[in-house]
Amino acid sequence: MTTTNISSNYLTTAMLPSIAQTQATLAADGVELSTGQYANLGLQLGDQSGYELSLKNEYQQLQSLTTSNTVVTTDMTTAQDALNAILSDAQSAQSSLTTWTSNAATSSPTLETIGADGLQALTSMANTTSNGAYVFGGVNNGVAPMNDYFSTPASAASTAVSNAFTSALTAAGATPSTISASDMQTFLNGPFAALFTGSSWTSDWSNASSTNTTAEIAPGQTSVTSTNINQPGFQDITEGYTMLAAFGNAGLSPSAQQAVASTALSLISQGVTALTSQTANLGSSMAQVTNATNSMSSQMTILQTQIGNLDNVNSSAVATQLTQLSTQLETAYQLTSQITKLSLAQYLPVA
Amino acid sequence: MSLSSTYNIISSAFASTAAQTSVISNNIANANTPGYNRQVANVVTTSYGGSQVVSVTREANNALLDQVNASTSLAAAQQAVASGLTTLAATVDDSASSTSSASQNGNSPSATLSNLESALATYQSSPNSQAAGQAVVSAASELASSLNTGTSAVQQVREQADSGMAASVTTINSLLNQYAQADAAVVNGTASGANVSTAENTRDSLLTQLSQQIGVSTTNNPNGSVSIFTDSGVPLYQTGVVSQLSFTASPTLVAGTSGNPVTVNGVAITGPSAPMAIQSGALAGLSTLRDTVAPQYQSQLDQIANGVINAFAETDQTGGGNPAMPGLFTYPGATGVPSSTTATGLAGLIEVNPAVDPSQGGNVSLLQNGGINGANYVYNTTGVAGYTGRIQGMISSITATQAFDPSAGLGSSASLSSYASSSVGWVQGQNQQASNAVTYENSVVTQATAALNNATGVNLDTELTNMLTIENTYTTTAKLLTTVGAMFNALISATN
Repeated sequence: MTTTNISSNYLTTAMLPSIAQTQATLAADGVELSTGQYANLGLQLGDQSGYELSLKNEYQQLQSLTTSNTVVTTDMTTAQDALNAILSDAQSAQSSLTTWTSNAATSSPTLETIGADGLQALTSMANTTSNGAYVFGGVNNGVAPMNDYFSTPASAASTAVSNAFTSALTAAGATPSTISASDMQTFLNGPFAALFTGSSWTSDWSNASSTNTTAEIAPGQTSVTSTNINQPGFQDITEGYTMLAAFGNAGLSPSAQQAVASTALSLISQGVTALTSQTANLGSSMAQVTNATNSMSSQMTILQTQIGNLDNVNSSAVATQLTQLSTQLETAYQLTSQITKLSLAQYLPVA
Repeated sequence: MSLSSTYNIISSAFASTAAQTSVISNNIANANTPGYNRQVANVVTTSYGGSQVVSVTREANNALLDQVNASTSLAAAQQAVASGLTTLAATVDDSASSTSSASQNGNSPSATLSNLESALATYQSSPNSQAAGQAVVSAASELASSLNTGTSAVQQVREQADSGMAASVTTINSLLNQYAQADAAVVNGTASGANVSTAENTRDSLLTQLSQQIGVSTTNNPNGSVSIFTDSGVPLYQTGVVSQLSFTASPTLVAGTSGNPVTVNGVAITGPSAPMAIQSGALAGLSTLRDTVAPQYQSQLDQIANGVINAFAETDQTGGGNPAMPGLFTYPGATGVPSSTTATGLAGLIEVNPAVDPSQGGNVSLLQNGGINGANYVYNTTGVAGYTGRIQGMISSITATQAFDPSAGLGSSASLSSYASSSVGWVQGQNQQASNAVTYENSVVTQATAALNNATGVNLDTELTNMLTIENTYTTTAKLLTTVGAMFNALISATN
């Protein structure tokens, strides 16, 4: 009779590899249940690790752009607020001017006060900073964009204005008190207006760059994220305020004063219209940033789901496996114990 | 037949039971000895009717033993590769990183490159911020140190593999010498008719130990000697002559240098160009790790380093046709940007340009404006504070397609970020394959060992049953002796 020989040594140790393997799986399952991810992700994913990593990288880029978009939005909101303040100042200057025109002699505030207050407020608003950068500086946002007209010693702008006025008086052969309304009008529309455009503006008034800053707001999408004061709106309002501040108290005749007031009023109105459209442009840039952030947010949700599909374990499946493995391990222990007892020696009578 | 002849039969029965008992005792004593082959006493009837143990045979199964040895060799080779790859994989393991944090806490070149890209994105939204610029520099030094760490891990893995090979060669030579002695004992014993079971057991166990180190095949010779060849056919032991392995270890293996091959009688048996390269065993695994796997990963790291230096290089802004020069990243003694074919060892040398690193007296603003390499390389020619063109250019160069050396195994053209993540995928993929192969080969070893153990091992119950049978025979024989004695007594008293 031949029977299959079973080695006693093998019989008692047969369960050991299975027990060791079960214990290793149990340990991994414990980690997976507590973290919700595969215990050894690199080993689990293998070649797919590269794909998983590129998803994570993409997610990270979107996240950092989302963060940098908040900075960009803060800058633009600051600029927007400053523009709104300039607009409301200009509007109150308009109403003061209207009041003054109807009752020139006794009206308060005076033309000079309207102009000087307006110009000071405008300069301070134009030099608003956000995150250490001047929001109206264009790309040259490291220096204050608008020079102070009232600085001591006299600013370049203030010198230019008084020189121009002196030349105009000489040409008309008049003094401030005798210059006619029409001569004054010609001066304001001509030599004076020229001080607020082109190279005079950029040399006397503005340090801003006409190029606006741009930022990447979404992968591959850049947007203009600032504005600058080299724009007709700023120039018109500055011109209006300056003429009031310079000539409001220069001893002009009432008719010449009326000419100054009406020119200033129309310039400020013109400026308000231009600045309003600039506000709208900034608003549309902000909307672009918000849209980009929203679309990135939905992309991030999709990416997170994909990463989760790769990384995350099905916790109920792991929990079930854990129970099964515990049962298996207990069975293996029981079997080992039973098999060890199975020896013929136990059943032989002791001699 | 006379009554006295029964005495002879009885005495032969005693001798035979004693011999069988000794074999059974031997089996029981070695029931738990690994590699012990159970012995069987061959009992025959003598010419006068008694019983005699003519020989003791050893239960052997060469087919199963060969299978155990072959799978042991394969498992050992995969194990050697897998343990090296685990070390390499640890340097790129980003599994702990959570998607909720802005900065991945992984240290792989891919993750650190991604951190650098994030830092640049923050910098471009606030170019005036010195802190944002410094964040870029520190992210850049993390990338450089990730590549440096990767290189030293590769070097360490290769050096360990090399010293592992030296240790393996020593072990193999020592085992071969022991084998020669055991084999000589078998040959001599067989010739003189002695019991050679113990020598054969020793020989088999030496062969199994040898398979752990090197894949072997065996052939049986008529005189009982068993010759050993490598699995590629190079003789290691033949007709009593041992062919020693020789190997000169290399204490340092920097990128681009290759270690020495293991030779037998002047023939290389390891390495990619060996004419008869061994296929399995720890020695083969270590050689694969040292000569193929680790150098390939090294060249991927070098390609990444080359890609990084080129992506951040500064170009001549004056149109004067000056060559591109290293920007944010450079390497000691750089006189220009490297190319993908001359990148060997670059990953171990790459560093953040001291010109932009404030901790080395550099100026961060050179990052924003360019000009690390002099006035011709200044991007921000007007010097305005809000200039972001250069930073945005660096961001887009990370995702721009570049040329890579295809011999590194990851294609010839890819973006820097996708090349870096492919490299991580490559390491993890190799690690997964090796780890799966180890699991598979180990289970084959377990199965084959179980089969061999069952075929040649001792079953205590069988031995005990045999023992009882022999005990009964002994008792009966003793009874026979008393009976025959009584009969003689009866006969003698009858004759008196």
